[in-house]
Amino acid sequence: MTSIELHLGPLHAAGYNILRSGVRWLFDSGHYCRPNQIFAYCNITLEPASGRLSGPPPFAEELELQIAFASRIGGRVSANASTARGGYLSVRTVDVWDPDTVVASIEPDPEAGDPVGDPSRLRLLALAGRRMTDLAVTHSGLLPGWHGRSRGWWCEAGETPVTLLSLGVCDAAGLVQGEDCAFSDMFEATQTAAQMVYIPDHPLAPATPLLLDQLQRTPAQFDAIAADLKGFFERSTTPPTPNDLIFAGTVLSVMQRNPIRDGYSIFSANGLARLGPADAVLLSLAVEPNSILRHRKLGYPIHIMRHHQAAAGPAFKAWLTESFEPVRRSVDDLKRDYETLIDKIARTTGGRVIILNRMSTSGYEDVSSYLPFDAPMSETLSLVAAKEWNLMLEDIADERDLDIVDVDAIAADIGGGEHLPDSIHQSGLMQTLLRREVLNYLGNLPRAEAPLAAVR
Amino acid sequence: MIYEFRLPLIVTQMTGATVECLYAKPGDSLKMGSKLFDLSIDLGSVFAQECPPISFFRVVMREAAWLRKLDLAPGKFLQLEEEIAIFSTSPDEDINQPVTRPIRTTVAGIVHHDGMWTGSQL
Repeated sequence: MTSIELHLGPLHAAGYNILRSGVRWLFDSGHYCRPNQIFAYCNITLEPASGRLSGPPPFAEELELQIAFASRIGGRVSANASTARGGYLSVRTVDVWDPDTVVASIEPDPEAGDPVGDPSRLRLLALAGRRMTDLAVTHSGLLPGWHGRSRGWWCEAGETPVTLLSLGVCDAAGLVQGEDCAFSDMFEATQTAAQMVYIPDHPLAPATPLLLDQLQRTPAQFDAIAADLKGFFERSTTPPTPNDLIFAGTVLSVMQRNPIRDGYSIFSANGLARLGPADAVLLSLAVEPNSILRHRKLGYPIHIMRHHQAAAGPAFKAWLTESFEPVRRSVDDLKRDYETLIDKIARTTGGRVIILNRMSTSGYEDVSSYLPFDAPMSETLSLVAAKEWNLMLEDIADERDLDIVDVDAIAADIGGGEHLPDSIHQSGLMQTLLRREVLNYLGNLPRAEAPLAAVR
Repeated sequence: MIYEFRLPLIVTQMTGATVECLYAKPGDSLKMGSKLFDLSIDLGSVFAQECPPISFFRVVMREAAWLRKLDLAPGKFLQLEEEIAIFSTSPDEDINQPVTRPIRTTVAGIVHHDGMWTGSQL
């Protein structure tokens, strides 16, 4: 079959020149690639065309900007060696984005079906990372570095992406980010225009009380939180170590943001545009703790997972111990928090909530009698708790717009021991199945029909 | 009769378990339903990642026996199939005689609690 040259295709950003680095390859030339499988990428910058800006540029906070490439058809992909500049020229943006540039050629798989769209034009996955600190500079790979928010979007001319915001723990992160942590599995799984946004579960884990608090917190309340933490460090008999200061800075940096209300700048073949807050928010039931820390004086909740607390120094840990008290949460408390959050999101942004429930069975348990366990058993037995919590979600879904991804049923169906061994971390197959469920829910969301408003 | 408890395979990928807390001591007369100890299983060594896949389990007696030997402390790592405890059907039997069979126990997944070793070192 005849080889097809793969072109960059159009990208526009009115008022800016789009510059790219040399192309970096994820596979050796001649590698077989599936349709829509990412095989190479480059870094991107948007340089003001006039040399002057009237306001902050649209991606000022996102110092990682990349475009990753995939072919619309499967086959053996051969690199155009001239696009790989090498050295710093494959890191720095040195070439103007030219839609006619040939990045690679492909010998199509004769068994492959018809592609969606022009097979000679690459599918583009745009990636943006907002660093947790601007010091988190790393040049290697897709979406490199330490990000407080990362996202990837894709759309064809005339399309508007629907946005999914992931605010879960590892069960949500894995299916949204995929194995390369750059959304390429989601990109490959759907050709519908979409944007995936990922907020990490550190330093603060996204339990519902924290998400609610973040939605409602005023700048004055944030200032009081920051002043209290600084005050503790000043009077603490344990001097803050570098780990304390880094941890505290990261916590404050995250606390002053509000991911559910965030909007997003994008650029594509349609030009620059601004998307509103996420159309859907993906949550994990697994993140909810049985008890949560509440600040004794200021009343706000905090939840830092145990393995992340280990990164803090002694002064920060002393602050947690002295300034917070644990508050037990019943199933009713959880239900009320979810209902409040779902209502608040619907009212504030119009977004819909999708949630991953919990695995509630295990082939490893051999409980023949529950007599040895005190009531209420859900306070002791994790699988009984998971069942109660899953039922609680069903009760909420009876009365509110809530989409439940049934992790429990899918894991039981394909084998929890093999595919969900610790009830949180899924296998590749399990992620694929969950991803399909989430995409089905996203497909049911209403889509914007009008063209997006230009940023400038 | 002498019974023993060896660390069983609770999760396929486990290589061992960590003692989280103890509920019984040598010399105790244990009834069916008595709690023995809580364990944690960390699959982190199997799935390399910074988020440790830790699960917690409780071992509960499924028959009455005297606990005669138990040399454990919270935080101790136990190997798979390691002998952990010796039981007898009467309080003063010679525990050096051959083991008749494994003690009957139940292993149940539990929720982390404040009495556990994990989390107490922060």
